[in-house]
Amino acid sequence: MEEKIGVYICECGPNIAENVDIDKVINVVSSLPSVGIVERHKLLCSEDGKKFLKQSIQEHGLTRLVIAACSPKQHEATFMKVCEEAGLNPHLFQLVNIREQCAWIIEDKERATDRATRYVRAALRRIPYHQPLEKREIDCNPDVLVIGGGITGIETSLLLAGPDRKVYLVEKTSFLGGKLREFEKLAPGMESTDKLLKHKIKNVEESENIKVFTNAEVKGVIGFLGNFIAVVKTGENEELEIKVGSVVVATGFDLFDPTKIPRYGYSKFDDVYTSLEFEKMNLNGKILLKNGQPPKSIAIIHCVGREERGYCSAVCCSYSLKFARYLKARFPDVKVSNLYTELSVPGKVYQKFYEETKAMGVDFIRAREIEIKEKVIKYLTEDEKEQNLAVDMVILTPAIQPSSDASKLAEMLKISQDEKGFFAEEHEKLGPVSTSMEGIFIAGCAQGPRNIADSIIQAEAVAGKILSSIIPGKKLEPEARTSEISEALCIGCQTCLEVCAYGAIYFDEIKRVSVVNEILCRGCGNCAASCPSGAASLKHFTATQIHQEVVEALR
Amino acid sequence: MKGARVAVKDSIEKTVLNILSKAIDKKLFDVILIPIMVPAGDSYAWVLAQDKSLLDSASSLPPIMSVQGAKALSSVTRMGKTNKKIAALMRPCEIRAVIELSKLSQIELDNIFLISMDCPGVLPLKDWLKDPTKGINSFRKVIQRFVDGDPEPDQSVRPVCTICHRFYDSSAVDLHIGILGKKGEYIFFIPHTTQAETIFAELGLSFKDDISHWQNGVDEVLKQRKKKRSLVQEELKPEVIGLDKLLDTFSNCINCHICQSVCPICYCRQCYFDSDKVKQPPDDYLMRAESKGNISLPPDKILFHLGRMSHMALSCVGCGACEDACPMSIKVAQIFSLIADRSQELFNYIPGESLEEPLPLRVFEEDELHEVETP
Repeated sequence: MEEKIGVYICECGPNIAENVDIDKVINVVSSLPSVGIVERHKLLCSEDGKKFLKQSIQEHGLTRLVIAACSPKQHEATFMKVCEEAGLNPHLFQLVNIREQCAWIIEDKERATDRATRYVRAALRRIPYHQPLEKREIDCNPDVLVIGGGITGIETSLLLAGPDRKVYLVEKTSFLGGKLREFEKLAPGMESTDKLLKHKIKNVEESENIKVFTNAEVKGVIGFLGNFIAVVKTGENEELEIKVGSVVVATGFDLFDPTKIPRYGYSKFDDVYTSLEFEKMNLNGKILLKNGQPPKSIAIIHCVGREERGYCSAVCCSYSLKFARYLKARFPDVKVSNLYTELSVPGKVYQKFYEETKAMGVDFIRAREIEIKEKVIKYLTEDEKEQNLAVDMVILTPAIQPSSDASKLAEMLKISQDEKGFFAEEHEKLGPVSTSMEGIFIAGCAQGPRNIADSIIQAEAVAGKILSSIIPGKKLEPEARTSEISEALCIGCQTCLEVCAYGAIYFDEIKRVSVVNEILCRGCGNCAASCPSGAASLKHFTATQIHQEVVEALR
Repeated sequence: MKGARVAVKDSIEKTVLNILSKAIDKKLFDVILIPIMVPAGDSYAWVLAQDKSLLDSASSLPPIMSVQGAKALSSVTRMGKTNKKIAALMRPCEIRAVIELSKLSQIELDNIFLISMDCPGVLPLKDWLKDPTKGINSFRKVIQRFVDGDPEPDQSVRPVCTICHRFYDSSAVDLHIGILGKKGEYIFFIPHTTQAETIFAELGLSFKDDISHWQNGVDEVLKQRKKKRSLVQEELKPEVIGLDKLLDTFSNCINCHICQSVCPICYCRQCYFDSDKVKQPPDDYLMRAESKGNISLPPDKILFHLGRMSHMALSCVGCGACEDACPMSIKVAQIFSLIADRSQELFNYIPGESLEEPLPLRVFEEDELHEVETP
C-alpha cells in the first residue's frame, strides 16, 4: 500500500501562530516524500479540531500522521485517541512540539520558524519507521494493600472493603490501633478514644473482606496501578504473595528523640517524659513521680525538636491542652505550665478549647532557651529575663518525624520522600494523597504531621481516589511502548535488571538471558540505554527511529 | 598484613611452579589455569592443567599476553559455577578484568581461586614475533631489572605497561605473589582470604613473615610509574583532544575491530557497532556526503571508538590487549587509559579492586555528576 502521510499544524490560538510562520513551514514540508496533505488549524485539541482531524484522516485515507502542536505531555494522548477513532493505529502518529520547544522559547520569528520546520522534517523522516503497536487489555485488580494498622490504615480499610474489593491490612506490631491505643481521650471533645477506636478495630476484625496481618512486614512490591504483586511476611514467618490493584501507605510517625538535645535533660533526670510516655501513664491511671508521690507542679515543654527538624508538628499544642485537662481532672490543685515558643491552635474549635483550658488556671509562658535541671526549669522570658520554674515533672512534646523504616519502604515502593523524610505527595495542593507512582497512595502522618481528624480526611481522600479509579471489572491498557530484549543478542550481564525502576525485568537462568515482563514495563527506556550491545530496545523509540529523527534534525 | 617469605630456588618462575605442582599433588586444586608454551615454542596459550607434568612448560609470567586471562576464565565459568576447583594464576590486569567480568555475570567465581603476581609488563606481540628466543632472553632481563627495583621501566615492554600503576595486587584476589623488594632472592606469598591461608598452610607455608620489604618495593616502583603515567598522558592529550585530533589519531584505523575482540571488558555477544542498528540505509550516507561535501567509508569509524570508550571506560583495566593487537599501531590503550582514569575518578571507582563495589552504571545517586551540568 502506498504511504500517505498527513501533516497538521496547530496554531494553538496565538501561541504558535504568532511566533512561527506556519505557511512557510507548510511550504517546505509539502514537497517532502509521501506527504499527502499539509494543513493548519486554529486549535486542534478543541472539539472542533478533533472532529476536523478525524474527518481528514478518513477522507484522505492517511496511513501515517504528523501533528505539530504542543508538548506530548499535554496532548499526545488526545490525538492518539482521535487516531483510534479514525481507524488509524495511534502509534503511526508523531507529535512535534513546536510550542514549548520553538514558539515559546525563541524570540526571533524567523529562527523559530526555521526550527519548527526542522522538527517537522525530522518527524517526517522518523515516521516511516513507526510500527503499528497493538494495544492490549488486562484485568485491573480492585483489591488494596494497606500498610500500617493505625487509625489512618484502619479507616482506609473500612472505607474500601466490600464484597468486590478485598483489603489486606499489614501491621508490623501485634495489634491494630497504632499510637492511638494509648490515648485515653481525644482533643478537643475529650471523648473517650476507646469508643471510637475499639468499634473500628472490631469492624475491621469482623469484616469478611479485610484480611489483617499483624506482626507482619511488606517485603517487596512490584507492579503498577491495577496490578501490584506484594510479598508479605506474616507473623508466622510465611512469605505470602498478594495481588492488589493499589497500595496505601499509612505507616504513621515516630517521635523526635529528645536525647539529641541534652538541655532537655531527657533520660538524664527523673520525671522527664515524652508525650507518648505520658499518654501511657495517664491511660494506666498512674501519673506519679519516681518516688511514688503525685506531682504537684508540671511543665509541658512545647516545640521539642522543632528547630532541629525545621517544621511545626501541628498537633503538640492541642494535645498539650489535652494533657493539662487530664492533669486537672486527676489532681485539681496541680500547677500546669506550658512553655512554648509559638502557640498553634488553628481551626474552628481549638480556640475555645484553649481559652477554656487557660481559664482552669493552666499557665502559658512564652519561653526561650529552656534548660531542664533537677526539678527546675531555667528559661528566658519574652523580654529576655532569666527565670527559674520549680517543677516536679516535665512532659516534652517531641516533634513528629517520619517512621524509622520510611526510607526502606520508599525505596521498595519506588516513591519519593520529601526533604524531611516524609513520603512525598504528588502535589501539595492538587495531589495531596497521590505519589509519584500511580496506584500508590499516602495518608496520615506518613505524609507529614497531622491530627486524627486530618488523617481520617486523608483516608477518605485515598478511598475516594481508589474507588473512582479502580472499579471492579475495569480493564487496563498497559503501555504498548514497552521494552523488548533480544534473546539472540543478550549475554546475560543483567545490567538492565539493575537499572529497571519497575521490577519489570527478570533473568531466565536456563537461557541465561534477561526477559521483560510486558505488563510491568512502563517503557522508561533505562534498560535500552544501559544495554551495551543493544539487545534491549524500546518499541517506538528504536535506535533507527531516533537516529533518523536526529539525522534530519541536525541536517 | 603478613605473608610467607619463600626463598627462590633456580628462578622465581620455578619456585612458584614448584609450589603449585605440590598443590596439585595434594589435590588442593583440581586444575590450574595457567599459560603454557605452545609446542612450536613461539607463543603461550591458556591451559587448564590437570596433569602436573604440564607445568614443566608453564609460565607464571609469560613474556607476552597472547590472550587476556579473563577471557580464558570466562569461557569456562560464564554459564555458572564449575564443578572443578580451579586455581587461576594471572597478571594483576587480568585478575582485575576477571573481577569486572564477574560483576557482569560473565565469570562465576565460586570454586575459583585467584592468584596474582607482581608484573613487570609484557613484550609487544610484534617484537616477540620477530624472534621468540630473543624475546625469552630479553624478558628474563626485564624481570631481573624489575625485581632489582630499577626505577626506570624497561623500554622493551609495551608502552602501556611502562605506565601501569596497578602492577601489584588487588584486594579481590585470594593470594598474591609479591616478587618485588628482595632482588629475586625471596618472594612473598600474601593471602587475602582465609581459604588461601588454609590451602597454603597444607603446603607448609605459614603466613607470619613481615612483608614490608615487598611493600617498600611496590611503593618505589609505584612512585616512578605514577610519575611516568601522568607525563605520558600529558604528552598524549594535545594529540587526541577534540574531534579533529581524534579523527587524525584514528585516521589509519582499518576498521578491523580487533581491539574490541581482544578486549576482556567487551563482553557483548555481538558488538553494537557490528550490528545492524548502526547500519543506516545507503541513501543516508549519500545524503550525509551531499550535505557535508564528503564522507569517509565505511562510515562511523570514529563512532566505533567513541562508543567503545563510553561503554568500557569505567571498567577498563589498562591491560593493553587492544593496542598490542592493533595492526596499525594506534595508541589505543594509552588513549583509553587517559579516558578511563578521568571517568573512573569521577565515580571514585577502581575496576577490579573489590567485588563488593558495584559498577557505577548500576548505582543511582540523586546527587552526583555536577561536573557535567551546564552552569
